[in-house]
Order: sequence, then C-alpha cells, then structure tokens
Amino acid sequence: MISTEIEFSAPDSLRGVLAVLDEHGYDVTVLSGGMSLLPMMNLGLATPERVVSLNRVEELRSVREEGDQIVIGSRVRHFEVATDPSIGRHCPALAAAARKIGDVQVRNRGTIGGSVSHADPSADYLPALVAHGARIVLESAGGARRELATEDFFLDLMFTAKEPTELITEIRVPKLPAGGGAAYVRFARVEGSFAIVNAAAVLSGDGGAAWLALGGVGPRPVALDITGHGRSGWDDAAVQAVGDAAFEVSGGATSDAMSDAEYKREMARVYARRVVRAAREARQAF
Amino acid sequence: MKTTVQVRVNGEDRAVEVDTRTIVADMLREHLRLTSVHIGCATGNCGACTIFLDGRTVKSCCVLAADVDGREITTIEGIAPDADTLHPVQECFIENQGLQCGYCTPAMILSALSLLEQVPDPSEDEIRHAIAGNLCRCTGYHFIVKSIQAAAARMAGTDPASTAQTSV
Repeated sequence: MISTEIEFSAPDSLRGVLAVLDEHGYDVTVLSGGMSLLPMMNLGLATPERVVSLNRVEELRSVREEGDQIVIGSRVRHFEVATDPSIGRHCPALAAAARKIGDVQVRNRGTIGGSVSHADPSADYLPALVAHGARIVLESAGGARRELATEDFFLDLMFTAKEPTELITEIRVPKLPAGGGAAYVRFARVEGSFAIVNAAAVLSGDGGAAWLALGGVGPRPVALDITGHGRSGWDDAAVQAVGDAAFEVSGGATSDAMSDAEYKREMARVYARRVVRAAREARQAF
Repeated sequence: MKTTVQVRVNGEDRAVEVDTRTIVADMLREHLRLTSVHIGCATGNCGACTIFLDGRTVKSCCVLAADVDGREITTIEGIAPDADTLHPVQECFIENQGLQCGYCTPAMILSALSLLEQVPDPSEDEIRHAIAGNLCRCTGYHFIVKSIQAAAARMAGTDPASTAQTSV
C-alpha cells in the first residue's frame, strides 16, 4: 500500500485550495478523481508528501452554457461529461470520448480536470478537446487567471503549461455550429485499456472550418487543420486525403511493447479516415 | 498523520481513525472488518475492491480514506434485506454458477446491482459493458452474464421463482 506519510487537506472552497497551492507550490500534489494518481501512489511511483483534495470543492462541479461555449468545471466526473445533455448536443466528440474512458467505476470517479492535468498522450479527452478547439482555464491565488489554447497548454509528454501554484478550474469548449458534425474513435487492445491511437474530428457546416486531432502518435496531441480537404464536400477522395495527411503528421510516434511506430502511423491513417466518415455521418443526421 | 473519518457504512454511522495514507479498501477491511472488499491489484484494473460510494460504484483501492469523510459507502454486506435473506442478485449468482473461486464475486455483484438500478432490463451487450471494470479469471464471464440476466428477470418479477413466491 502507500508507504510514505501524507500531509492531507481537503478545503471546501476553491479559494482554500488555491491558498494551499500558493503556500506550498512545488511541494503539493492535487488530488481530483485519483484514477491515475492513486495507482501511482499504491505502486510507489508517486510519493507526494502533501496532497490537497478537490473533492469537497463544489464550485468546480458545474456544466453551464455561456454564449457559444460550454463551460465544464474541472471536477466534473467522466460519467457526467458522458451523459450531460448540453455536452452531448454541443460537444459530441467530447461526450463520445468520455463514454470510452476506462470502465464504469473509473468514469464514476475520474474527472476531466484530472485527466487534462495528467496529460497522458493516450488519454481519450485530449484529441476531442483539441478538435473542438477547447481552452483550458488556470487560476491561482489572488484572482490571477489565464486561459490557454490546447496547443499552448499541452507542451510535452505528461507536461503542461500549468504552474505548480495554478489549478485547472474550467474547460471551455466552443459549441459545434449548427449543421456541423463531430466524432471520436479509439484503437485499443480491449475495452478499458489505453488507446494505442485515437482520433477526433470536428466538421463545421458546409465549407466551414474542420479539424482533426490525433493521440498516441507523439508526446502531445497532434492537430491538423483539414478545412482545405473538405472544400468541395467530404467525399471518399477527401477522406482518403485526410488519412494520408494523418500519416504524414504522425512522425512523432514511438515504438512500445504494444506496437511499433510505423504501425501506429498506419493506424493513424485508418482511424483518421474512420473518424472523418463518422463526423460526416453525424453531420448529415444533425 | 492521523485523521478521523466520519462515514456512513452499510447504513451505520462510523468514526474511523486512520492514517492519511490509508486507502478506502484497507479502511473497510482492516478497520471495519468488511473483508468482502478484495484487493487484487491496487492499480484500479481488476475491480475486486468495488464499492458503492454515494450511490455510485468506485474502486476503493483508488480512493483515500481521508477523502470519504462525510460520505456514504455500501459493500456487499449491506445489500441483503436481512441476515437470513440474500439479495436477488446474490441468489441468481448462486443458482446460475456465476462464480468459481469467488474472489471477484462481491464486487461483480455490486457492479451488476448498479447496472440493474439504472437499466432494469439490460441487453447482453449492456451487461458486458457494465462489468468491463471487473475482471474474473475463472468463469469466462458466460455464467456471470447469465446470472445478471436471471437477476434482472427476478427483480422485475418476470422469472418463474418470483412468480412462485408471489402466488404463495
């Protein structure tokens, strides 16, 4: 079990959590759902001396609509992201990604802020957030606040722009425009195992902006503007071209025990095509 | 660092003094002697430590005891109506041989119960997705699925056994 002593606190307000971060910064580990942190602590891979829990902070639990954005509190749990009606309607690739995370028990406990902060390159949320053009809100004591695009937030393998004194408080996701379509697909050995390659696509209405995002093919999510490919509609030739482009941008893939780098790149090609087709179908059904 | 956790377990309010590094699974096993909570992996994979926390299933090896202060927990010890009666899901696992060694069983039954509370008449596919977080290395899952299907029927009052009971 956990071998090192822990100084534990669970403030009941965001202000309280930010005060702990302000005081201890580098020496404090934030606990949200704990679905990655607790296994690492049980294995002795993470040995935090001081843990601050978000589980009593009610302010971080809401999902709300604000103009053309859906604003998701960082402590919203995966099952809530998967089933919330406004997320399902306006950020469908994100809802689809949430439905694929781990298993029932993991979705009941894990949180979107925790997953984003952990920044595992095979996490289900990452490509969905990138393709939807989400922004990450960071707050720290004294009212300091900044909002980062995903490309400025996810910097490297499990490394983000978040400072130790900052907390992810919100994920802001633009609503899919009317007539748009979005989808998320993953390639994994079995249900519940980490994705080897995953992909999300968000297609706006006719001729509008279109984005593909890939996970598992580099240390951070890879975004690809595919607007040009869909200029004259998403026919099979356009889908084919997106697949080829996905292969080209997946050069950062590395080999591991499950699959070698070339294989991942080929799967990026296959899953890019599949996700664009799925987004196309979703758009027609809209 | 010691802390006192106030927690409602199987309908009873308990105050438990634990070390802050204690996981919920150990609190339940070592402090409250609820040994149905099994620890198979301690990494959130096997699901043998599944409990209800505020009405939803979680893996209790991946939650700190200090983090459940003020919360409500149910283990399999708390699901039967009384000491002499089993819950219908428990009955159906026995009748359909939904277990072999039994290590995964308490947690498997809680996951089944959670599903049936939300989806009273699940398809086989829904059942298999619902127990994806509970590993069983004996049965191959076939008789577990069958047990859950039988439990769904019994809880809905549409199986022969429950019809017999109501006609008495």
